[in-house]
Amino acid sequence: MADQKITIALAGNPNSGKTTLFNGLTGSNQFVGNWPGVTVEKKEGRLKGHKDVLIEDLPGIYSLSPYTTEEVVSRNFLVDENPDAILNIVDGTNLERNLYLTTQLLELGIPVVVAVNMVDLIQKNGDVIDTKKLSRELGVDVIEISALKGTSIMEAAEAALKAAETKKAAKPVKFAKDVEASLKEIEGLLVNVPDHLKRWFSVKLFERDDKLPENVASLAPKAEEIITKIETAHDDDSESIITNERYEWIASALKGTYGKKGSGELSVSDKIDKIVTNRWLALPIFAAVMWLVYYISVTTIGTFVTDWTNDGLFGDGYYLFGNGREEFTEDMNAYYAENVWTDEVKDNVAKAADAGITGADEILASIEDQDYEAFDEAYGFYGAELDDKEGGVYSISETVDTARGEDAEMPANEDYGTWVPGIPVLVEGLLDAINCNDFLKSLILDGIIAGVGAVLGFVPQMFVLFAFLAFLEACGYMARIAFVMDRIFRKFGLSGKSFIPVLIGTGCGVPGVMASRTIENERDRRMTIMTTTFIPCGAKLPIIALITSALFKGASWVAPSAYFLGMAAIIISGIILKKTKMFAGDPAPFVMELPAYHWPTVGNILRSMWERGWSFIKKAGSIILISSIVIWAGSTFGWTDGAFGWNPDLELEESVLGAIGNGVKWIFAPLGFDNIKATIATVMGLVAKEEVVGVFGVLDFEGLTALAGYSFLAFNLLCAPCFAAIGAIKREMNNAKWTWFAIAWQCGLAYVFAFIIYQLGSLFTGSGNIFGGILAIALVACIVWLLVRPYDEAKKLTAVKA
Amino acid sequence: MMPLAVADYGTEYKILKIGGNNEVKQHLADLGFVVGGKVSIVNEAAGNLIVNVKETRVAIGKDLALRIMV
Repeated sequence: MADQKITIALAGNPNSGKTTLFNGLTGSNQFVGNWPGVTVEKKEGRLKGHKDVLIEDLPGIYSLSPYTTEEVVSRNFLVDENPDAILNIVDGTNLERNLYLTTQLLELGIPVVVAVNMVDLIQKNGDVIDTKKLSRELGVDVIEISALKGTSIMEAAEAALKAAETKKAAKPVKFAKDVEASLKEIEGLLVNVPDHLKRWFSVKLFERDDKLPENVASLAPKAEEIITKIETAHDDDSESIITNERYEWIASALKGTYGKKGSGELSVSDKIDKIVTNRWLALPIFAAVMWLVYYISVTTIGTFVTDWTNDGLFGDGYYLFGNGREEFTEDMNAYYAENVWTDEVKDNVAKAADAGITGADEILASIEDQDYEAFDEAYGFYGAELDDKEGGVYSISETVDTARGEDAEMPANEDYGTWVPGIPVLVEGLLDAINCNDFLKSLILDGIIAGVGAVLGFVPQMFVLFAFLAFLEACGYMARIAFVMDRIFRKFGLSGKSFIPVLIGTGCGVPGVMASRTIENERDRRMTIMTTTFIPCGAKLPIIALITSALFKGASWVAPSAYFLGMAAIIISGIILKKTKMFAGDPAPFVMELPAYHWPTVGNILRSMWERGWSFIKKAGSIILISSIVIWAGSTFGWTDGAFGWNPDLELEESVLGAIGNGVKWIFAPLGFDNIKATIATVMGLVAKEEVVGVFGVLDFEGLTALAGYSFLAFNLLCAPCFAAIGAIKREMNNAKWTWFAIAWQCGLAYVFAFIIYQLGSLFTGSGNIFGGILAIALVACIVWLLVRPYDEAKKLTAVKA
Repeated sequence: MMPLAVADYGTEYKILKIGGNNEVKQHLADLGFVVGGKVSIVNEAAGNLIVNVKETRVAIGKDLALRIMV
């Protein structure tokens, strides 16, 4: 027995506690979400204490019809893989609907054990379930469990194990006599399928299921006669006949097994829903919640932790628990006051500020505040401006650089409190100690650590954001957001469910695209996959921040405008695509279960945060690591005085990367940024958006106007996402043609948007090119026409009739 | 007989007929909307309804609510 593997499939409705049970049985780390369809792929784990028993966690499903991807995944597994037993978890507080799936599972010819979950809740409500009678009715073992508290879950697994060993297949429930007779007749046609699947396939043939294997589907014409006969007799279609038979059987089986105390009053969940889905309050509440989430994750906790990671862990170093920081800052300010902020410097800066030199006022403010960190930052950004303007009369660089130079006797970090050097400092020390050669040292420090570090610096922020999203998902609010947003999204040809992928996409596009699986309608799902990555993801935030601070002096409208641009791209795509032949048709009706609100467990939230965050880190570890090395090699190999070779101090224009950028930069000329670095940054952005900032980290923005900068931003935000997200799109589309269409649509739309922004913008500022301006106006007119042209009336009529 | 979309809050109704194509009908049936079953409206937002069907809360769009006759 021990050497033989046993597979037990775990099946049940969404929100029935299936994933909690799976975690309890296997001890594996898996996220449990209070959002229908969290388990979108089957997962497996070994049963605790039984190495030879494999538990397969199937997606949460309501039935085995071919309606959603999850259902198809599940039934294919059950039919093709033929597991040894099915452990069917049912929500005891909602037996009637949960048993509907059970009646279908009983038809598969596989041993079944039913686990009635949430018995603690049932008892609390004062309800009673007679499991003995239910077990007799179903003809299988029924066990009461509480997945959340772990009560009796191992008993349920043992029962399933026993059922698997005895190999006693479950018996299907009996329908009305005439229906049974028809099914028997169809079974007679099925000569080429295994015996245990005959009942299953005969029911599916009867229902005219369109996702059957070839050898069964070919019998459909023969079965048609039998089906039509009974349809006429019942005056109903065959699928409804079976559905009604199932619910009728359940109703009779539950008579006397399920005692329910009086209901009818509003539950706490209903009361909360009255407020959060209220016609007037819903949107303000949603806006407030999202604002809070972003405020906390991006500006407060997130920034604090990200600064520590960038400047401390991957920078010079940091004070452990801040011990010593205050003394050091005090001494530094005193040192600056004496050596850096001399009367001459103050005088020059004040004069420069009066003359309106860019950034001089910021430097001045930092001196007045006696804040050396603010001064360093402002000087780093704008110091060169003072040197350049008016032949350098305002220059302060000589004094400042001497005072901060290597020979200066500045306070040293190490002398204060508990100073922990950053990773680059430690690694550099280590490499120097082992006499590492310059090439390898440059590869490790400037290539790998600088590249990967820049990305990892941003992980804490994502973790905070993911934790909040997990909370919203697990407490049940996310499902309400879909409900509330549906009335708005519907106007743009998308369903409310499309909003969840977009929301998750603000963190990272990969889970965002994957979240589109809960959308049943294939057209809607494809459209959501294509448009989700328009919204700025976490990795695009640094691009926005960089352009904002470098070209727009930190103007506060730039970042919101990026989100607005993303939403506009989604909405415009939605409307335009919905009017094309490919996506035409009735918008899929909105149906969605709203799980009851509950407080999620901390472990649950941390698990989800970790799972999503970890997939991001893995990406940083693989794709970003490789591309960092490629960029480093491309920028350090090149032509020094005409000879090709490695040179760490190479100018970008003379490097291999520069040569490539030079070759293709003409593509971006109409968008205003035919600049080598901007071109390289855009191309590298396809590998990973984080790389855009990596390339630009050293860019001096020469030749880029603010307008071209915004056009650059717009193109990079909207064009095809990074490799990882393109991979996710390909997986979800499961079709090469659609994947390429999505990429082409994204790049095309980005190009058109950036073109319009740049050309019309230059026209307004008076520097425009007439030809470009006319073309841009024509493009705007074309978009407007695509937006307002009527829907295909003929299509709509058939949809209504159906 | 009237569509669920215009029914009163809080009152329990019996479902008399469900329209729409097979795919939609089937999915509604999977969620518990069947002829003869009971349904009541819990809340409403711009035509979209939250209804109580077989003791679960299900959100449905206005177009569907028009096809469920009670």
